[in-house]
Amino acid sequence: MTNLLKTEWLKLKKYWAFWWMTGIVALAYPGMNYSIYYNGYKDQLKDKNWGPILKMLPNPFTFPDVWQTVAFISSLFVFIPSIVVIMFITNEYTFKTHRQNVIDGWSRKDFMTSKMIDVAIISLLVTVLYFITATIIGLDNSTNPSGNFWKGSQYIGLFFLQVFSQLSIALLISLLVRKAFIALGIFIFYFFPLEPILVQLGKRYANDAGKFLPLEISDRLIPAPRFFFRQQSEWDALVAQSNIHILYTVLLLAITWGICFWINAKRDL
Amino acid sequence: MPHYLQANFTEMSSVLTLNSISKFYGPIRALNNVSFEVPQGSVFGILGPNGSGKTTLLSIILDVLKANNGNFLWFDHPGSPEQRKKIGSLLETPNFYHYLSAIDNLKVTQSISGRGTREDIDEVLKKVKLYERRKSRFKTYSLGMKQRLAIAASLLGNPKVLVLDEPTNGLDPVGIAEIRELIVELKKSGHTIIMASHLLDEVEKVCTHVAILKTGDVITTGDVNEVLQDEDVVEVSAADLNVLANVLQQFSSDISISNVSNTVQLLLPKGTAKLDEINRFCFDHGIVLNHLLLKKKRLEARFFELTNN
Repeated sequence: MTNLLKTEWLKLKKYWAFWWMTGIVALAYPGMNYSIYYNGYKDQLKDKNWGPILKMLPNPFTFPDVWQTVAFISSLFVFIPSIVVIMFITNEYTFKTHRQNVIDGWSRKDFMTSKMIDVAIISLLVTVLYFITATIIGLDNSTNPSGNFWKGSQYIGLFFLQVFSQLSIALLISLLVRKAFIALGIFIFYFFPLEPILVQLGKRYANDAGKFLPLEISDRLIPAPRFFFRQQSEWDALVAQSNIHILYTVLLLAITWGICFWINAKRDL
Repeated sequence: MPHYLQANFTEMSSVLTLNSISKFYGPIRALNNVSFEVPQGSVFGILGPNGSGKTTLLSIILDVLKANNGNFLWFDHPGSPEQRKKIGSLLETPNFYHYLSAIDNLKVTQSISGRGTREDIDEVLKKVKLYERRKSRFKTYSLGMKQRLAIAASLLGNPKVLVLDEPTNGLDPVGIAEIRELIVELKKSGHTIIMASHLLDEVEKVCTHVAILKTGDVITTGDVNEVLQDEDVVEVSAADLNVLANVLQQFSSDISISNVSNTVQLLLPKGTAKLDEINRFCFDHGIVLNHLLLKKKRLEARFFELTNN
């Protein structure tokens, strides 16, 4: 495993797209969170009807709620790291380095495990950037941050699980399609708008069956912040299903990687 | 298997044994029951026209492709990642990370295979004359430079077995000669080299053994001298070629006079030419030979014969 990690790091550390992605995420996460804080949340506080109710609720950008709020907003931008995942794996096929890795002495299982490590590294990096963003925003807005700092920090783990799950779907598409731009097109189109439309249709016509769609399964790990909802019951229902979606997400991950390993073991390289 | 091959193989242990390997791409038969052995210390050339299955065969023994039937053994054991780590391989095209330099690419090769050290990377880059450009990105290399890097990767850590698919692809004449010398040098130091090529001159100059493929079938395989000589060609010359030709009719009915080389050529069944007897016979009949040679048939001619091209 150490050897796989070392080898992947040799490939990744000089891959410019990886560092561009890191830079973009490092700017986009605080940028989007602050933008929603000022333009979404603070603007709503001024609303005649909704504002007084919101003021009675805790500020979602203070500890402990900031973990959930920032996790939710940041998760809307998983497509940024997904671009790196897709390009990094399809590069292996474009330049046939996946073959060379096997020729040089990796088993096919080693190769796929190394891709899992790549997805884990990128998910971890994105989670670290989320952690830094949430910490800064939380400290910036909380009057007594130390008492509530770690409350609600389970969202760090849930955020990692969500990113890892969704990037794994991106990897599966790359493995199936092998062409960078086609894989990117399929993933982005599915990410937005296709799956959101299907989820809404599911809610309306199919007893919310859309909750089992590949991205929605992990989307529901992190419910939207309270100020997104006018009805308390609607928000409560969403929070209540978060736990079962941990199980669904783990199952989906097992299926996704099972398919990846199986395809890679069976087909010609 | 021809009897002469059996004799050779009992003397040397096999590095690679192929047993009835078949590969199909849908209805297309790429390889059909391919079997042969690669003796230790040999330079084994796999020959064949385009599409004959050379690269498919090498891809199977390197686990890039799965055979539909048959199996192969490296050092009498089924193929495994651990065995591949000990084999330096160049398959089809140079496959490297386009955004990494030569050094960084070889670090990846080293990390996966465990072959060589940091110093060895510099050494192999010097050997293939790429050291000056070692820090340039792979995508900036010419085709010849890419091929040199692929050869450098296969040489990393001095593996005892090399699999080289068209190793001189993209190289200029000097580069081709250098690779040929390198292969001869490696053979002298006890390496086994399995090499696919369609450059017959290249194979003829360096290979000790060959297997010739045609549309997935092995037409012939064995010691290169045995394969090339399906009959003995004896070339003789004396002051009077016509007299010489008349006298030699006792040895062979297939005699021709070449006015270009000023020689008489006798074709004899394989393995029957005895030069000392011919020399003595001519001398006894009052002819002093000034030239006597047992010639190999050119591989090119033999290849065309075998593949009916």
